[in-house]
Amino acid sequence: MLDSRLIGLIIVFAPLSLLSFGGGQAIVADIQYQTVEVHKWLSNSEFVDMFALSRAAPGPSTLISALIGWQVDGFAGALVAALAMYIPSSAVVYFAASWWQRSQTSPLRIAIERGLAPVAIGLVFAGVVAVVQAAQMDALALATLGMCTLILYFTKFSSYRLLFIVGAVYGALLYFGIDVFAQPGANLFYWWS
Amino acid sequence: MPPDTPVKTPGSPTPPQYVPILELLGVFLRLGILAIGGGVQAFMYRDLVEVKRWIDDKAYITGLAIAQVLPGANPVNLALYFGLKLRGGLGATVAVLGMVVPAFCIILGMGYAYRQLAHLPATHFILIGVASVGVAATLAMGAKIAKRLDRNWNTALIALVTFGAVGVLRLPMVPVVLVVVPLSILLAYVAERRRAG
Repeated sequence: MLDSRLIGLIIVFAPLSLLSFGGGQAIVADIQYQTVEVHKWLSNSEFVDMFALSRAAPGPSTLISALIGWQVDGFAGALVAALAMYIPSSAVVYFAASWWQRSQTSPLRIAIERGLAPVAIGLVFAGVVAVVQAAQMDALALATLGMCTLILYFTKFSSYRLLFIVGAVYGALLYFGIDVFAQPGANLFYWWS
Repeated sequence: MPPDTPVKTPGSPTPPQYVPILELLGVFLRLGILAIGGGVQAFMYRDLVEVKRWIDDKAYITGLAIAQVLPGANPVNLALYFGLKLRGGLGATVAVLGMVVPAFCIILGMGYAYRQLAHLPATHFILIGVASVGVAATLAMGAKIAKRLDRNWNTALIALVTFGAVGVLRLPMVPVVLVVVPLSILLAYVAERRRAG
């Protein structure tokens, strides 16, 4: 059955699930507090590593809960922490979405739809700024970003293929030791980001 | 059973159509494995709206807003919302599992690999490159959807205020959303009433 560490994981992550507005971003600070200060499952530097990993990995950044669960109690911990993170919020979304689809023509629904759209767009661009700053993108990364944006905006090129191509090009640059933006002046971009 | 190869006319709103459950699983599995660097919404837009044409622009942006405003990871909420919309409860379950299970396995694998590779600068270098593709996908999607927003001052103002508050001033998102969303819905409701009456 559930041991006390697994129950601890549920107690930490299930309430945070309901507060995870906008995904992992909103609750990162509290995850740090609970897992490092309160329960002492991790050191601060371990926490930072896990945060970085959860951002670099595919899928939702709230999977940081699985990484922490793994650290606390192995595979069972990872599984329990991930479920505690997803089930409460998913239940809320499920019922909200069901209501949404039943009330097709209500004027309130139309107003909600029109009202939410600009907020969503604002948050999308805010997310871009947050990632660019968090990643401390250098000139090369910003150039990659600009070029890929143009490609994805104007063509039907597959975003997955682009991902692999960029990964491969970066790997090659590294392998052959080419420092593309090594001139003085390139550092100006650090100031911006 | 409805035909599962509907006629696809570019640009027209998507008609309700039959989405094979395995194809749904395939799309979300791929998203769960490959969508990196905060680009999930953008990758999903490309797959569901532009490639498969299962969802139209308007429905996508509604789903996006709901996924962002309700608690929960955006990618999981989006998978749940569109899975439910396309194939009901089964679709929602399949989409969420497709999104989470591979990512769950990958992140545990990465957690292990990271311990071995963390000291290599190459690890961080390549990840940054990959992340910039994720950001680029988000930018391209945002620009495409923004182009199709209602053209009026309310909409533009709300979008700018939200972006400014969260993206530039770095105010915490929850209070910002709690203020901006009711305001925006009220403005839309009043505008709708005026148009109707």
